[in-house]
Amino acid sequence: MVTYIIRRLVTAVLILLGASFVVYQLTAAAGDPLDELRQSNAPNKDQLIAQRVALLDLGTPAPLRYFKWLGGAAQCVVPLVGKCDLGQKMNGEPVVDALGRAAGQTILLITAATILAIVIGIGLGIITALRQYSTLDYSVTFMAFLFFSLPIFWIAVLLKEFGAIGFNDFLRDPVFSPTSILITAICLGIVVVLFMGGSYLKRIIGFLIGAAATAGLMYALSVTGWFSTPGLGPILIALFGVGIAYLATQLTAGVKNRKALYSSLLMVPAGLIAYYALNPVLSGISGWGILGLFVATLAVGCIVGWFMGGFDRGQSMRAAALSAFFVGGLVMLDRFMVEWPNYFSNGRVRGRPIATIGSSTPNLEGNWWIQNIDLFTHLLLPTVALLLVSLASYSRYSRASMLEIMQMDYIRTARAKGLPERTVVMRHAFRNALIPLATLVAFDIGGLIGGAVITERVFAFTGMGNLFVDSLLPVPDPNPVMGVFLVTGILALVFNLIADLAYSVLDPRVRVKA
Amino acid sequence: MRFTRISKAVAIGATAALALSACAASTGTNDSSSGADEGEGNGGEIRVVEVNAFSSFNDNTAKGNVDINSKIAYTTQSDFNYIDNDLKVQKNEKFGKYEVESEDPLTVKYTINEGVKWSDGEPVNADDMMMAWAISSGHFNDAKTDDEGEVTAGTNYFDYAGDTSGLALTDVPEIGDDNRSITLKYSKPFADWETSFGMMGPAHVVADKAGMTVDELTELFKTADKGDPENPSKKPNKKLKKAADFWNTGFDTKSLPDDESLYLSSGPFIVDKIVPDQSMTLVRNEDYDWGPEPKVDSIVVRYISESPAQVQALKNQEVDIIAPQASADTLESLEALGDQVVVETGDQLSYDHIDLNYNGVFKDKDVRKAFMHTIPRQQIVDTIIKKLNPDAKPLDSQLFVPDNDGYEESAKNNGSADYQKADIEKAKELLDGKKPKVRIMYSKDNPNRADAYSLIAASAKKAGFKVVDGGLGASEWGSALGGGTYDATIFGWISSGVGVTGVPQIFGTGSSSNFNKFSDKKADELMDELIVTTDEKKQTDLQIQIDKLIWDSGYGLPLFQSVGVDAYDSGVEGVEYMSNQTGVWWNFWDWNLKK
Repeated sequence: MVTYIIRRLVTAVLILLGASFVVYQLTAAAGDPLDELRQSNAPNKDQLIAQRVALLDLGTPAPLRYFKWLGGAAQCVVPLVGKCDLGQKMNGEPVVDALGRAAGQTILLITAATILAIVIGIGLGIITALRQYSTLDYSVTFMAFLFFSLPIFWIAVLLKEFGAIGFNDFLRDPVFSPTSILITAICLGIVVVLFMGGSYLKRIIGFLIGAAATAGLMYALSVTGWFSTPGLGPILIALFGVGIAYLATQLTAGVKNRKALYSSLLMVPAGLIAYYALNPVLSGISGWGILGLFVATLAVGCIVGWFMGGFDRGQSMRAAALSAFFVGGLVMLDRFMVEWPNYFSNGRVRGRPIATIGSSTPNLEGNWWIQNIDLFTHLLLPTVALLLVSLASYSRYSRASMLEIMQMDYIRTARAKGLPERTVVMRHAFRNALIPLATLVAFDIGGLIGGAVITERVFAFTGMGNLFVDSLLPVPDPNPVMGVFLVTGILALVFNLIADLAYSVLDPRVRVKA
Repeated sequence: MRFTRISKAVAIGATAALALSACAASTGTNDSSSGADEGEGNGGEIRVVEVNAFSSFNDNTAKGNVDINSKIAYTTQSDFNYIDNDLKVQKNEKFGKYEVESEDPLTVKYTINEGVKWSDGEPVNADDMMMAWAISSGHFNDAKTDDEGEVTAGTNYFDYAGDTSGLALTDVPEIGDDNRSITLKYSKPFADWETSFGMMGPAHVVADKAGMTVDELTELFKTADKGDPENPSKKPNKKLKKAADFWNTGFDTKSLPDDESLYLSSGPFIVDKIVPDQSMTLVRNEDYDWGPEPKVDSIVVRYISESPAQVQALKNQEVDIIAPQASADTLESLEALGDQVVVETGDQLSYDHIDLNYNGVFKDKDVRKAFMHTIPRQQIVDTIIKKLNPDAKPLDSQLFVPDNDGYEESAKNNGSADYQKADIEKAKELLDGKKPKVRIMYSKDNPNRADAYSLIAASAKKAGFKVVDGGLGASEWGSALGGGTYDATIFGWISSGVGVTGVPQIFGTGSSSNFNKFSDKKADELMDELIVTTDEKKQTDLQIQIDKLIWDSGYGLPLFQSVGVDAYDSGVEGVEYMSNQTGVWWNFWDWNLKK
């Protein structure tokens, strides 16, 4: 195993060296750095050309310049030297600094989108696999492919037009018109039908209930002015909390396990107590405080589960911790909603909360809640755009993988020995279906850090993709391009290795031969 | 049974929810007052969009010479004059004054008013002007460069991106008036003297960072040897090098430095906050009263590179002023916003033109003239520019743009009237049955030039020319310029707007931007006279004469000026279109929010 890893790493270094040489030459040849100056009619044209030649060291031929660059870059890996010289951008900024900042922006942009895409994509894949060839299966497949095939810049522009500009216009006077209530109700009614099965009568009833519930909800939200002053309040937290407790128990232990169910349900009153008790603390809280509270929440869940005991303490603990986590999330969500009017009326937000560009409102002042609402309103649209286009691959892969697993002999065996379907699906099939996805996820994370060029450009995020494009045009500047290449190249190789190793750890049938 | 139970539960729950919604724990922290006011005063905040991200507080170096850096410098550094949107030099007499003391030799005295100071309290005075002179005169440089621009011996001290040719004519200035004035003496008159001298940052900071006092630095500028590129000294002047090195790189930063001396302001605004690559905030410089005073309290700059994203951000009121790349799509989407925004279009200083080489097939003046007659200028403007600017007309001068005073007179006088539309008959007449082969070079990747080429080629063929498509890719055509591989070329130049020293750079015999080898003795003489003429009236007269000589010799034709566009929220007033690189920023002090 160790020799295998070392061998892989050595190859990786060689690949990087070769590829970096090629990329450097390609960038240097990508355009004429003096182009705009050659056609210039400035009186000091010759001086400007001389300055640029000196700036980009154009006197040295590109192959030799590569080795100069390599000399600096190599210091990054030499221990004890302690300096990392990837050269400078044309404006004199060290590439290392620019890379650090760009990577930060990219990670900010893609983290939520990637996690959501994985969770939702896999979830959809599993559900559609369990209901193969149902209406739901077909419609999810259709939607996934529809979004997959739409160009992201177009989705992004539409999202901005309706999700940001349209929604902000709506917020000025947040009242639904009867037409929009009707249309939304019908649409959501259809969604309910898609998720249901059964006879036509059952479906029609499902449609009616779904549509009526939607219409009622929209009407209530409209009348109470919920969009201006949103909030959940203790009652809704309690109601949702009970739902969460049931769901969490069903997924982790099955509701038949009463001890687990009761420990989960206990989290709801615990959450409500916290809701009132923590209120004074929450106003001035910091990010670390929130993190601490979440750790505490999980701990409470585990402890309660432990004391409830039962034949399997682990199940109770997992169920309780899971519901504690989400009930805690509800309390936090309520808090965000309560702060919303303050954000909305802030002079710098100008009553138009959903943003179309960048990652923050300049000069916005406010507590942790306000700052994070601001982050949310800025990240919402790019996250949705990235999510929509990447759902397809995850849902299709996990569907295929799940279908394959469900045909396996050991699944039949599991059913034959009388295990409940929940256990068969969750414990025997689901876990094994995830194995092939490990490769996909590892690849995707490696690739995404390289930047989502188009998304970044459209939403004016200055991440890795933007750095790459800006360094190519109008004047090709090899140093930052090489910086981006190094980061993406190394990540691709590392995640490739991780994927292979993870595969062999997850699936004992695959053995790494040293 | 089960159904009713559930619905009962729901009903009770809903009622309870409504009844108990009053017992919510919190209504939020009511600190909205702290962030609700925009800025401290009540002038409000204006948000402007820029394409490039800020990178340096010194916009005069080769590295820092990026449009956004210049705009920030424009708001934070006061100067003796600025250029308005009629391309006229406007003096700022509240900052200081400059007078021509003598015409021969040209002597100009610059005096800074008392009370003008940097934001750290130090006065802006002759020390700063001495440094500005040292930088923009290249007085100390003795670097020898080879043909490729590599320095072979000697040193270039200040990495100044501007033109040193004007102040290079001056000797070490004299300091006077209690260290508030300097007097520049030119060895021969210099036409653009008025715009060649400007402030270049705080000398006391540069001195401090180079480890000396400001007096020592000024003394250094007074006493150091003049550089001679023919005779480069082996060892650079160490002190000077230290000061220059700091000036060259010390002000480069992407974020706001902890050291306040690195971003001192002498202008209406001072930088308050920078989020690298995302935004920067300028707030009022409290002490400032030596020039036009701004109406808003702060200006926020946001960077958006894509034009459609700029338009949507404007529509969403996230930004107030944008200046996107002009294209038919952008204009259409801006106009679709209706009353919400004000859209302004206008000419830019860059213009496209077609030049004919004075050798090869075009050696014969009649052939050149014949070809010029085939160029459908009006049609080119109609197809390419009209959709952006309905009032667009063909550009009728090689030296002036319509904003310049001499344009109309020169256009009337230079014979451009003959070349408004294609005149195939005239061309045929001049060709007299010949069928010359013409290779036209242009950038294939520039759609406007590709369009212009097709129109010209189609028209020229009618007159009997055999046109060969010499279009090259974006990265190749620039280096092909002047190489003699083509007979005619379509490309762009940028008019300086103000000043005349750029004229010989294009039309002077043997100069480096004279790609088609135009050479006219009379014109050379007039240009020699032009660059030593300080009287504006006379400059215009000379240019009109030169313009006519160029047109008469069958040089080629100017086609059209590029179109620029800016747009702003209708809640903003005072924004005016500007054709040069300063763009909408030129009168930022007039920007205001309608109450």
